[in-house]
Amino acid sequence: MTSLDLRAQKLVICLGPGGVGKTTISAALAVRAATLGCAVDVMTVDPAPRLLDALGLEADSSEPVEVHLDGIRLSRRGGGSNRARLRALRLDPKRTFDSIIARYALSDAARDTILENRIYRNLSGALAGVGDYMAMEKLLELAANPDTDLLVLDTPPATEAIDFLDAPRRLLELLNSRAVSLLGAPAGLFRSQLRVVDVAARAVLAAFDRVTGLNLLSDVQSFVRSFEGMYEGFSVRAARAQDKLRAPDTAIVIVTTAESSRIAQAREFIGALESAGLRISAMVVNRVLAELPDVAQLSSARIAPSLKKKLKRNLADYAALKTREEFSLGALRESLPSGTALMVAPDLGREPRTIADLAEIGRSISDA
Amino acid sequence: MKLPRVLFVTGKGGTGKSTVAAALALALSGRRPTTLADLDRRLSAAALLGAIPDNSAAVKVTDSLDVIALTPRAELEAFIERIVPIRAISRRMLRSATFGYVTAALPGLEAFLLLERLRIMAGDAALHDRYLVIDAPASGSAVELLSVSSGVKGIAPAGTLNRLADSIDGFLGDATRFGVVITTTPEDLAVREALETAATIRDRLGVATVAAIVNCVPDLLFDTAELAAISPLGGHARLAIRRNAAHEQAALVTPRFADTGVMTVNLPMMFTTAIGSAELKKLGRVLDAELLDR
Repeated sequence: MTSLDLRAQKLVICLGPGGVGKTTISAALAVRAATLGCAVDVMTVDPAPRLLDALGLEADSSEPVEVHLDGIRLSRRGGGSNRARLRALRLDPKRTFDSIIARYALSDAARDTILENRIYRNLSGALAGVGDYMAMEKLLELAANPDTDLLVLDTPPATEAIDFLDAPRRLLELLNSRAVSLLGAPAGLFRSQLRVVDVAARAVLAAFDRVTGLNLLSDVQSFVRSFEGMYEGFSVRAARAQDKLRAPDTAIVIVTTAESSRIAQAREFIGALESAGLRISAMVVNRVLAELPDVAQLSSARIAPSLKKKLKRNLADYAALKTREEFSLGALRESLPSGTALMVAPDLGREPRTIADLAEIGRSISDA
Repeated sequence: MKLPRVLFVTGKGGTGKSTVAAALALALSGRRPTTLADLDRRLSAAALLGAIPDNSAAVKVTDSLDVIALTPRAELEAFIERIVPIRAISRRMLRSATFGYVTAALPGLEAFLLLERLRIMAGDAALHDRYLVIDAPASGSAVELLSVSSGVKGIAPAGTLNRLADSIDGFLGDATRFGVVITTTPEDLAVREALETAATIRDRLGVATVAAIVNCVPDLLFDTAELAAISPLGGHARLAIRRNAAHEQAALVTPRFADTGVMTVNLPMMFTTAIGSAELKKLGRVLDAELLDR
């Protein structure tokens, strides 16, 4: 792995669409860094505990769990500094959020108001940005640990890469007191400050309430109000997380496959991240077909002609897939901003099940 | 096979969900007029059929097939425009940051409105004897989308919204009106996710899975004796084993779904340099024979 030096990073964030093997690549990078002698933590926010599966862990833990590196050969490139260790954890956003609320709420009453709020109870799983915000909180906590050289973060599948990185800001905006005054304040209050659109937004909620017999206006208000006083702490930490994303020893890695629709998606990610002023360190194209065998080898092989014919057909079939793949890779290469490494992770031909498989993938990720 | 009016196609990312949705719409349109509703912002299923719809208006592909793009955002906009009939104000409001707070606080609202739209479209399809194929989000988000009406019932234990949620639940739970098609590939992770999705929507939401489509299944080219004969050939042997292994994996998938009462259809791996209309037609023919005729 030449252009992404894991030993020079403190934080690696893997982003990408669903189904491209993001969790596998995150774990493979983490195992690779550990074999290079680093003390590594890898965290997944994926709702399915697949990373723990792949790492051979059964526990569903929101605290780091040691992963045994038995049988994994440490690289000689690790040099003198051998702090090799690997820990993995899976974040349960809902539970972590509950505990953060419990920890930071100014009073028991405020805590209960939030936890018992209709909106929070029914939709907090979907409540925009909560999971992503929690990942950021945990990330800051883990990154502050001096015993850890590198933290690898596996993010939830995103349709928009920016969603994840931007979520804390959006959540904070929701909790911002301005939202309270605009949406939640009793009619009459602040009226002079309201713009026509704010009045319209309130009118929508009010109309919605009338039609549905709900009390959303006051629910939104009480939900947002209960965060008063906590806002500052949240906002300070979110700003620190934003700084962290832009730190020189943070690498943002986009994972994709060579499938044309995924490549299109990955290119959109790049655009979105660039316009947010974030630098992408590397693009890893996962499950790329390995080098195909030479057809000439068949002419000298001592096998039945019918079998030879079948092997030729098999080769031609996979060559067509390889052509499809190379076309996509070419398009991707052209659209990459300068300074972004294009790397490929070859297809193992089987699903990675063991830590040795992950080590093999980590070792074979290379520049394309 | 008697299919429901609405076929909701979902699956793990990378299993060819959009390709299957497009091929299925193509196959169905050979029997009855069909609409493909693309819920994916990238409109990949629509693009495969050679049509790029916008503005929520249907675009004709053939005499019996049209495509339409549906987005939660557009449904929300339509909803807002009904409530705030002055266009200039509703438009400005939708663009305002304030409104972002409303949707952030009520993340289920857009999805709920989208489901309601599907319910209405299904009624329309029944009236005109049409099929509706939906290129839905990947399985995780699809389950979230389908669960949203129960979430709404939790928020609104009575009233109009509750009744609306009830009628959506009735629609989703009616196997003559609504069914899910789950795509997978012959890989263990994808199969596991497909099985989990089928179990979740059945147990938690009472929604039926019509079929699991196993995509990218290579034909069997080599028998055991042949594999043994080519074993000294290195790369060629590995490539042959790879093909056979994928084929054999696929054979193991059918009984796993059969155990849960879900039928499977295997779609052949397209060993071509691109997926175009010829490949789509080929896949459509397999679906016609293996799913529609069964």
